[in-house]
Amino acid sequence: MTSYLFQRLAGTLPVLLLISFLVFSLIHAAPGDPTLLLLGEETNAAEIAKAKERWGLDQPLYVQYLKFVRAAAAGDFGKSFKYAEPVINVIKTRLPATIELAVFAIIIASLLAIPLGVWAGAKPNSWIDNLGTTFGLFGISMPSFWLAIMLILLLAGVLNLLPTSGRSTYGIAGPEQTGFYLFDSIMQKNWSAVWDGLTHIFLPALALGMNMLGILMRVTRSSILEVMNEDYIQTARAKGLREKNVVWRHVTSNALIPVITVVGLELGTLLSGSIIVETVFAWPGSGSLLITALNARDYPLVTGIVMTYTLAFVAINLIIDGLYAVVDPRIRY
Amino acid sequence: MITTRRFLTTLTAVTCILGGTLTVQAQSRVSIGVTETIETHNPYGDSVSLQYGIYSEVTGPFCTYSYAKGDFEGRLAERWKVENPTTWIFFLSKNYKFNDGTTVTADDVVHSLMNRVIGDPQSKQKASVAPSIVKAEALDKFTVKVTTDKPTAPLLSFLCDRLIVTSKAAFDKYGRDAADREHMMGGGPYQLKELIPGQRLVLQKRPDHPDAKKHPNAPDEVIYRIMREPEQRVTAFLNDEIQIAQFIPPHMRQRIEKNPKLRIAPVDSVEIMFLAMQPKPPFDKKEVRQAVCHAINRDQIIATLLEGFASRLDGPIGPGQYGYDPNLKPKMNYDPEQSKKLLAQAGYANGVDVELQTPVGRYTLDKQLTEAMIPMLNAAGFRARLLTPEWATLWANVQKGTVPFYYMGRGSVQDPSAALHQYFHTGETPRIGYSNPKLDELLDKEQQEFDTKKRRQYLSQAMSILTDDAPACFLWRHKLLWGLNSRIDYKPLPDARIYAIDMAVKK
Repeated sequence: MTSYLFQRLAGTLPVLLLISFLVFSLIHAAPGDPTLLLLGEETNAAEIAKAKERWGLDQPLYVQYLKFVRAAAAGDFGKSFKYAEPVINVIKTRLPATIELAVFAIIIASLLAIPLGVWAGAKPNSWIDNLGTTFGLFGISMPSFWLAIMLILLLAGVLNLLPTSGRSTYGIAGPEQTGFYLFDSIMQKNWSAVWDGLTHIFLPALALGMNMLGILMRVTRSSILEVMNEDYIQTARAKGLREKNVVWRHVTSNALIPVITVVGLELGTLLSGSIIVETVFAWPGSGSLLITALNARDYPLVTGIVMTYTLAFVAINLIIDGLYAVVDPRIRY
Repeated sequence: MITTRRFLTTLTAVTCILGGTLTVQAQSRVSIGVTETIETHNPYGDSVSLQYGIYSEVTGPFCTYSYAKGDFEGRLAERWKVENPTTWIFFLSKNYKFNDGTTVTADDVVHSLMNRVIGDPQSKQKASVAPSIVKAEALDKFTVKVTTDKPTAPLLSFLCDRLIVTSKAAFDKYGRDAADREHMMGGGPYQLKELIPGQRLVLQKRPDHPDAKKHPNAPDEVIYRIMREPEQRVTAFLNDEIQIAQFIPPHMRQRIEKNPKLRIAPVDSVEIMFLAMQPKPPFDKKEVRQAVCHAINRDQIIATLLEGFASRLDGPIGPGQYGYDPNLKPKMNYDPEQSKKLLAQAGYANGVDVELQTPVGRYTLDKQLTEAMIPMLNAAGFRARLLTPEWATLWANVQKGTVPFYYMGRGSVQDPSAALHQYFHTGETPRIGYSNPKLDELLDKEQQEFDTKKRRQYLSQAMSILTDDAPACFLWRHKLLWGLNSRIDYKPLPDARIYAIDMAVKK
């Protein structure tokens, strides 16, 4: 297991280097100049020249890249042009909100998709299968920005059940400890803040998780269908087990491996999907931060966020690989 | 047992009294849905209208522009005088105190100008607040002398509602970052209570402040909530999540007007919208530029797409803006036949290809409005195409002078001097790349002229040349639609500033 882990970690280094090169090159190749975007409408040539010198933009691109790689290897992504703070600090303040949102999106998607997929797979061509398939198709087809607006209109507007945006209501939360609003509120036993947090997170998490819900539901259904035809399932039935037990104990546990893979892959998609959803819901996470950074051509911040996402993606995949062994005892590293 | 009962009785009585007191002293809170975002604790770390407005409220403002009077008026700087063309003296009010009770003095103003706006490498406000200021010094505790490198008659348009005055003592004691983040000291009627970048900013009224005493119904707390999506602002406004909604798109106003507890308050923006043309072929010929201006039916666009929520411009600026001349000539009226004649005179009788570039989603209905201009241009003899680059790309290219024909807005034009210099004075910026020695002379004169009447005359002459020579077609000023809850009495300002002290919450 240890050697496998080292192998995987060693394999991530070229990936990170390649991603860093691609992001760095693309963001610098994109039209737009951070000095012109950040210094205000009335800026002049002298101010622009000073800013370029201060931010190191007057140096050749390869020098800028090499400096970036050297610093990044030590965990320093440089200083944000817009925030004038170390990039890592800016990301740290915003990342918990995104993680919290992604986790809730997964919870919502999994809680709805897995039972629905199991039912649909266990009873193919039944009304529940048709309903589940239609629902899954709906989830996959809806663009998150459109769904987000529709959810605001319906659940916040017409029904007036939930707040339209933001992460919390002012004045309810206790002091911030970890940056995870709900976790902090639970630890502080501030139940009104927990409820407030849940009402705020529901709409963005639903909008974010809907696509994953659709994919998960379909994967679960087809996986269940596949396992249902295995010999050991026939054996379980022949032993006289009730169908409910067959489906939930024998079929589902064996059908979960591809589902876990999809959850892992989709987590990365959730991070990128959060960029749109966070912007629509004014969710103060790293996704909306990336939009701000892109609009300002804040090169260090854009690169820092993308590298953080890449690292997260690699880490998630490692964890998923580890989970295979937990779910399926036949898998050993 | 008796002791316990007595304790409970006392507790109940105290609770009742406290409860009663709390009811009497209920805090009024107003939430405002805004489109811009405050991303940094450093008050000098960004240069956007909302930030200037909010921090001006927290720290002063230094002075302010009164749209009612059409002139600047004092606040922290009670009054001022121009000692000579490059020297201004500002006399500070003695009543402004920081949150910790210390008085705001000339040292704080000097520190804010020289160390924070000009000297701090993190500042992004030098060009917007102090472009020509080279020195500021305290003559005494409440008098500041400001020296500019050249005569700058419109200096107040840079300082008023923009210069943020923070505490020198707090800066010296805690250092820059801690002073901004944890000990934000301001001399204004509100203090910063909470800032969550990307989500909200909360201000709390300082009841002891002289301006707060003058406005007892101003809200005790103001929450600025970032809501970039119009749908989100409108829904939150309809739900009473927010009581003021900034910038309602015209096509959404009817949903608000149906609710008797809500209203729409339109206000003429000070942002001027125009079509800029670089004097390169075919726009190097005045006739072609004038043909563009005659081709656009501004009245029709305003009446239809904008549903009347814009004011036509017959020159660079409109009513309420400094130096506006209602008799400015010539007027570029809609006349497609005249456009065709002008094109023929310029040697383009068979038409000419042009590409109009526009931002998308930056200004009200920008894409739709420019789409409507394309058939108008084509009907007048042009062969026009519309290009819609991403804003960061367009803006960078405009600033480099590589966009020949574009739709653009210039905000914060209370006094047009800076905008006119920026776009039309030779060599100032390459945005249009226009050059006219006569115009340069007039713009230089107005900037050095401290006699208001003469300065207005120079401005008027300059704007007349611009309208005739047409390096830009001046189109309209949008009417900004604000959603206001009927509990709030507030007159929105023509720029994006929001001063909570001017609000009154009905009890």
